Amino acid sequence: MEVKILSARFDIENANRIDVARQHGAYQTLDTLFAMEQADVIETVKASGLRGRGGAGFPTGVKWGFLPKDTGKPVYLAVNADESEPATFKDRYILVRDPHALIEGIIICSYAIGCHDSYIYIRGEYTSQVKILQQAIDEAYAEGYLGDRVAGRNFRLDVTVHRGAGAYVCGEETALLESIEGKKGQPRSKPPFPAVVGLFGCPTIINNVQSIASLPFIITNGADAYKAYGTEKSCGTHLFGISGHVEKPGMYELPLGLPLAEVIETVAGGVWKGRRLKGVIPGGSSTPVLTPDEVATVTLDYESMAAHKTMFGSGGIVVLDETVDMVKLVENLIAFYHHESCGQCTPCREGLGWMLKIVRRLLAGEGTVADIKLLRELCDNIEMKTVCVLSAACTMPVRSYLDKFRDEFEAYAIDGAPEQTELREG
Amino acid sequence: MAEMVKLFVNGQEVEVEAGKNLIDALQVVGIEIPHFCYHPALGADGNCRMCLVGIEDGRPPLVPACKTPAQPGMKVLLEDEKIKKIQRDIMELELINHPVDCPVCDQAGECTLQDYYMSYSQQDSRMNVEQVHKDKRLDFGCGVVHDQERCVLCARCVRFTRQITKTGELGIVNRSDQARVTIFPGRPLANRYALNIVDICPVGAMTSKDFRFRQRVWFLQKDPGICHGCSTGCNIYIDHHREKYGDDVIYRFRARTNLQVNGYFICDAGRLSYKTENENRQDRTLVDGVEVPLERGIEAALDKLNRARKPLMLVSPDSTLEQLWAIKRIATLYGAVLSGYSDAYVLAGDGDDYLISDDKAANRAGLQLLDIDSGKESFAAALADADLLVNFNNDLFFSPGNEDLQEALEATDQVSVCSHDRPAFSRATVILPCASYSEYGGSIVNRNNVLQRFARAVCRDADPCDIIEITRLLGGAISDNARAWPGLRQSVPALSRIWPERIPVEGVTLNSSEETHVGA
Repeated sequence: MEVKILSARFDIENANRIDVARQHGAYQTLDTLFAMEQADVIETVKASGLRGRGGAGFPTGVKWGFLPKDTGKPVYLAVNADESEPATFKDRYILVRDPHALIEGIIICSYAIGCHDSYIYIRGEYTSQVKILQQAIDEAYAEGYLGDRVAGRNFRLDVTVHRGAGAYVCGEETALLESIEGKKGQPRSKPPFPAVVGLFGCPTIINNVQSIASLPFIITNGADAYKAYGTEKSCGTHLFGISGHVEKPGMYELPLGLPLAEVIETVAGGVWKGRRLKGVIPGGSSTPVLTPDEVATVTLDYESMAAHKTMFGSGGIVVLDETVDMVKLVENLIAFYHHESCGQCTPCREGLGWMLKIVRRLLAGEGTVADIKLLRELCDNIEMKTVCVLSAACTMPVRSYLDKFRDEFEAYAIDGAPEQTELREG
Repeated sequence: MAEMVKLFVNGQEVEVEAGKNLIDALQVVGIEIPHFCYHPALGADGNCRMCLVGIEDGRPPLVPACKTPAQPGMKVLLEDEKIKKIQRDIMELELINHPVDCPVCDQAGECTLQDYYMSYSQQDSRMNVEQVHKDKRLDFGCGVVHDQERCVLCARCVRFTRQITKTGELGIVNRSDQARVTIFPGRPLANRYALNIVDICPVGAMTSKDFRFRQRVWFLQKDPGICHGCSTGCNIYIDHHREKYGDDVIYRFRARTNLQVNGYFICDAGRLSYKTENENRQDRTLVDGVEVPLERGIEAALDKLNRARKPLMLVSPDSTLEQLWAIKRIATLYGAVLSGYSDAYVLAGDGDDYLISDDKAANRAGLQLLDIDSGKESFAAALADADLLVNFNNDLFFSPGNEDLQEALEATDQVSVCSHDRPAFSRATVILPCASYSEYGGSIVNRNNVLQRFARAVCRDADPCDIIEITRLLGGAISDNARAWPGLRQSVPALSRIWPERIPVEGVTLNSSEETHVGA
């Protein structure tokens, strides 16, 4: 099932070094690239069907097309390496194991959109990763792939790494821009959208690391080669980080569209210790949970996930076995989003803290059925009333646990905190 | 005239100014959209989410009104169960961690949270868990006291220090429900407009050290007035109250919006100048240091005036056009030299490029309009020559600089018509108390030639006379403001077509003698 496009150099020792990467194909797209018109690059990316790999899945080439023409202002590219969604670690693999694929992708995108100053916004917690990335950038400068004349062409491109200070919300694209500008990382109201008014008030494209790293393959092999993988509307391959209660957790590159159950069974070795499946978080903690019945029918692509009233998300698949206490899981989930709420909008700022306290009341055996009803109602009251979708990233999954595993919450409300079962492990 | 557009609110067609955001545009036609963070002086921030309105067939269907410009044909939904529920939900979330300590909160009675609770919420609390606790009674400097628990994080105060004063002392630190407004450690508010923060705070989070716990706001009578702290003429509210068995006392000044003059704000010095109206007042009539009834004082003054061979009359640059006219008339009557010398009112370098002027006189432009000589040399010469000085409330020692006149002043017999007990007046053999600006009405012209009119606000027990009344008692023909205007119109070209009762509330700019007219 596994394919090697993004992960082609993952297993090669020292592929983060430019010599090794070049021996294995890095930067070989550039001749093709600079022979193309800028518009053709955008058309090729549109035709490839590549969709944003940050989680929202917006078509990458279409996004580039939103840039206004001839504004007289510089165009910026901000690469989102703030990978903060719990259970997501795909970009980290690219940053550490194949940073030159990212840099090559940045050259492709920058050429296509006419950008000469690109930023990589990397999460603050990636301390060792940022060193590897910076080393790769330094090497690319030394070898003439970045700087005043990219690969000897009349094209300047500078890449600056900007480290975040550890805020989930800075992965939201406008908060990311605020953070680069040196301000407190808080999302901006949209419109205007970043393609029109972005970094320093200029047109800006923000793309995820994996989206950018997918570009060299598309330009080298053409849109059809990329479309050969995946489904009609979910094209190409994706890095899936499979974690949780499976025998073989890890990072797997798979074409989109594979049945989730089969992937868990054959790629990840199935639910561990012979236990039964309780649920699957399909694409990072903010995606609504799937029950075993849903897992049996869903496939790993945007459309099937939407049809199952969840989201494809970031490729961070978490498998939950029968021992998982969903009330505790929800407590953990809300605690994270509450902690990460930027505190700007009233519903998110005040509401997530309230939800957290209600769940903790339930866990302490002091909650009532009315509390569960209130918790469910708060999900509706908070969601989509805010500047960004951070609140929805909390309320959407919480609602799914409340609706699909209601009995577990009611057990806490009616019977109090349950006895520890034998199966539960620390 | 601004361009107008027609749009629909709850299905009803309204015509509003194009391009304005929905909050401002609809407010003009009497439709309120609730909001905490939006303030016309500070722009839209969009954090409170209270102004979310529905747009029928809109994409998105739910928008913050503060960030949505009025567009033709737009179908705005307010009276809609979905929108009303959102307003209830936002109010619930604003209130869950609010202490609801209204009985001890200074903002009670003029609190947006209170008002909106009555208008948009009226639901019982469902909060059955521990509230978030934050710091209280934080001294932010400049007389601003902050209560983090009452704060709704609308960031108006933060934006004020960034956009208006550009001093940036305030910020919001921490995230989620731990977010709070604070200062940098050891770096308190340090600007001359800080108390505006108290005005713009929609809740009781920012209180004035000077005002807090002194009066419940619903007892205050809130009369419009004009600050006399300098020549800018900022519009204010004079909030005053007469306690049972007490006198009419001013408790505070607040900024009153006048986009032509002061915008939405006033300076702190002006705001706190209300104290001068309450304190150190000259309420007694004195003749040779002995308190007498006013009639006796007037008799003594008349006696001096009638006997004086070379009287000199000194007017104050704070006096209204009407007062100045009345004094000018009796100066003519008694053949007195008239001076408006008042250099002491100018504090060179004290002003800024915003609202504070160097010149602390409220009506210097009026003095000039009436062509009253204000030179020092002419005043000093007239003083040396005079055998009687009648000083109409001009504080010659408002600031240092007139010490050289001391000798001549001591050598001259003086009648002081004054509102306050100050060294400049105390040497007079006859002291006649007069009203101060919160106790009379009239017209003044500010530094930018804006003619503004104000009315009497306060009625103190002592009830001192308006200067105009004093001039009448001294034999003048002008007995009130209205009777001053025919003369003003006739003799001052710039005022020739002004009818004071028709001056708009925002004032009128006096351009040239021909063009300026109101209500014609």
